[in-house]
Amino acid sequence: MASNALTQPQLDKGPVFTVGRRRTLLRIFALLVMVIYTLLTLFPFYALFVRSFVPTKESADLHLWLPEVQEVSMSAEVGNLAVFYDLDLTDMKEVLGIPPTEFIMARTSLAEVAEDYNIPEEEIKKFFAGFYRYNGWNTLLLGDLYGTTFWGALFRSLLVTAVSLVILITLSIFTGYGLAGLRRRDQMAVYNIYLLQMVIPAMLILLPQYQLLQWIFNIFPAYADKGLTRWGLQLLAIVLINIKGTALSTMIFTAAISAIPKDLEDSAMIDGASRLQYVRYILFPLLKVPIVSLVVIYMPLIYNQFLEPYVYLDPANATLLPFTQSAVGQFSTNFQVIYSAIFASVVPMIIVYLLFRRLFVQGVMAGAIKG
Amino acid sequence: MQAATADTLSDELAKGSEKKRLSRLERRRIAEDWAFILPQLIVFIFLTIVPFFVAIPILFTDMAQFNDPRINPVGLRNFTALFTDPSVQRDYLPALRRTIIFVVLNYTTVYIFGLSLALLMYEVGFRGGFFTVVYLPLMVSGLAVGYMAVMLFSRETGTANLLLLELGLIKEPFDLYSAEGTAFILPLLVGWRYAGYNMAIFLSGLLAIPQETIEAAIVDGTNYWQRLTRVYFPQMWPSFILATTMCLIGSFAVFDELVAMGALYVNPEAKLLSILFFTYGFQVERLAMGMTLAVMTFLPLVFVGIALQRLQRRLQY
Repeated sequence: MASNALTQPQLDKGPVFTVGRRRTLLRIFALLVMVIYTLLTLFPFYALFVRSFVPTKESADLHLWLPEVQEVSMSAEVGNLAVFYDLDLTDMKEVLGIPPTEFIMARTSLAEVAEDYNIPEEEIKKFFAGFYRYNGWNTLLLGDLYGTTFWGALFRSLLVTAVSLVILITLSIFTGYGLAGLRRRDQMAVYNIYLLQMVIPAMLILLPQYQLLQWIFNIFPAYADKGLTRWGLQLLAIVLINIKGTALSTMIFTAAISAIPKDLEDSAMIDGASRLQYVRYILFPLLKVPIVSLVVIYMPLIYNQFLEPYVYLDPANATLLPFTQSAVGQFSTNFQVIYSAIFASVVPMIIVYLLFRRLFVQGVMAGAIKG
Repeated sequence: MQAATADTLSDELAKGSEKKRLSRLERRRIAEDWAFILPQLIVFIFLTIVPFFVAIPILFTDMAQFNDPRINPVGLRNFTALFTDPSVQRDYLPALRRTIIFVVLNYTTVYIFGLSLALLMYEVGFRGGFFTVVYLPLMVSGLAVGYMAVMLFSRETGTANLLLLELGLIKEPFDLYSAEGTAFILPLLVGWRYAGYNMAIFLSGLLAIPQETIEAAIVDGTNYWQRLTRVYFPQMWPSFILATTMCLIGSFAVFDELVAMGALYVNPEAKLLSILFFTYGFQVERLAMGMTLAVMTFLPLVFVGIALQRLQRRLQY
């Protein structure tokens, strides 16, 4: 008996000890995986940031930190600076006091410019201070391209995203309310039509959809000319494509509204509310969770939309991503501008994401359960 | 016999009177429901269903571009071109091969990233911070992810190449623009981008598993692998099917990443089917042919997708 009492705890201790150790090992392993995955995920963003400051001529060197500020070499040729670094010659002439009518040959070096026009070397070096390091950002943020600027494109992107989201949510709530319960055959049919969206790839309908909208836009005579009507209609096409409703939006709101007790509607009706008033004043405040879900899922999708804006919008009317793509085409030899443009296109959405990360995590998990 | 007839008769009478009784209120309710449904449904049908009907007549013509002034009917030539016209075969077959390789590899990344990360998260407990990191790449456009591939894995200038060479981990740099480079790097980056999305799908499937079934399996002395295959996975079928549907449809339609990798101009290895349809429609004036090839490729997929959806719904309830 006594010996039993002595051995019993030891027998118990054995397995407890190993389970504890296995658990610790598992934890360390999991932590390790998480740390490595985090580093690998963050690395491309960091590398992109660094590369937006690395002059194109140094692309073949490894840079893990911002390159040092370099002085411009006086033997650099103006032509090369213009081609590879998008040096604005008119700008240079103005700052250095060279008459704009003067023609500078492409092979002229900066030393020769200094000599020909009697400009002290210091002044030229001052003009080119930080030229290599900030070349990408200067070209991107200050320059213009095909009749628009980075800021114009950013504005259009934000506008399209905001307008699309507001209308998408409003219409999707209406749809969910009209379908709530899915009791009748007509409701079920509409619901199934929306489910189709999930399995129809955008590429399948892109060409005929474009044709269809062209037919309609050509009804407006002003569509043929560059101007507000044309650009407005083009942006309208993008908004329409974004608000048309998806399988997910329909599922989320139909499920959420079906779960709200019918008594609530009945009592609102007895109090004399119309159904529209019921949606506005009672349903809407109750739908915060699905609305957040929809916003956090669709905001990045709409902001990052490329195919449709690329097809529908004129370059002068482009949103951020088509603008980035035309910047790549234009500055194809200047990697620095390209990486600056990509980094700049990524930053706004990342900031929103980090600010509201809690909402994103909750919204996505809620959305995944529905989907 | 007579009783039965009487029964059905009274049944019918009841139904009839019910119909009449409900008709005014119920009809008004249905009409109002439709007033709520219609605004979005009209836009949806106009932009998703109507295009199919716009496409049908075009498929049988030689329409070369949008707003083509001269259009001739060509019968079924666009449909048979895939089997008879060498110029179409030269474009289509390599693109099809690349697309299938991409779909297969991309589908594996759903599990390598999505499922593994979801299991990790499930076993050590939900970590909001780590979820934030895994979901982060989904905030980045496909275009930017493609350019990240260019930045990291270009042969001479790729940052990852330069770093790995410096560390001595590789002897030869990866080349994004080679056949193998495009084939492997593209699904890797697309899988990385969608990792958070797939993780959310699998994690919600895991969280829905009743805790008792897992505890019972542990008490019965199962090891982890047995628990995975006998307890977890059979209860997660809807998640698997959803992830499969999304991956299948998404990978066939992959476009933005390819454009960034130079598919429209410099990198023929990145020409997948979606790029081919786009090129036929907007660049080389073979619009009707492009539409026909798109329909022939994607329509079977739509039916597979519908079947998967039905299966998922049947398993869910």
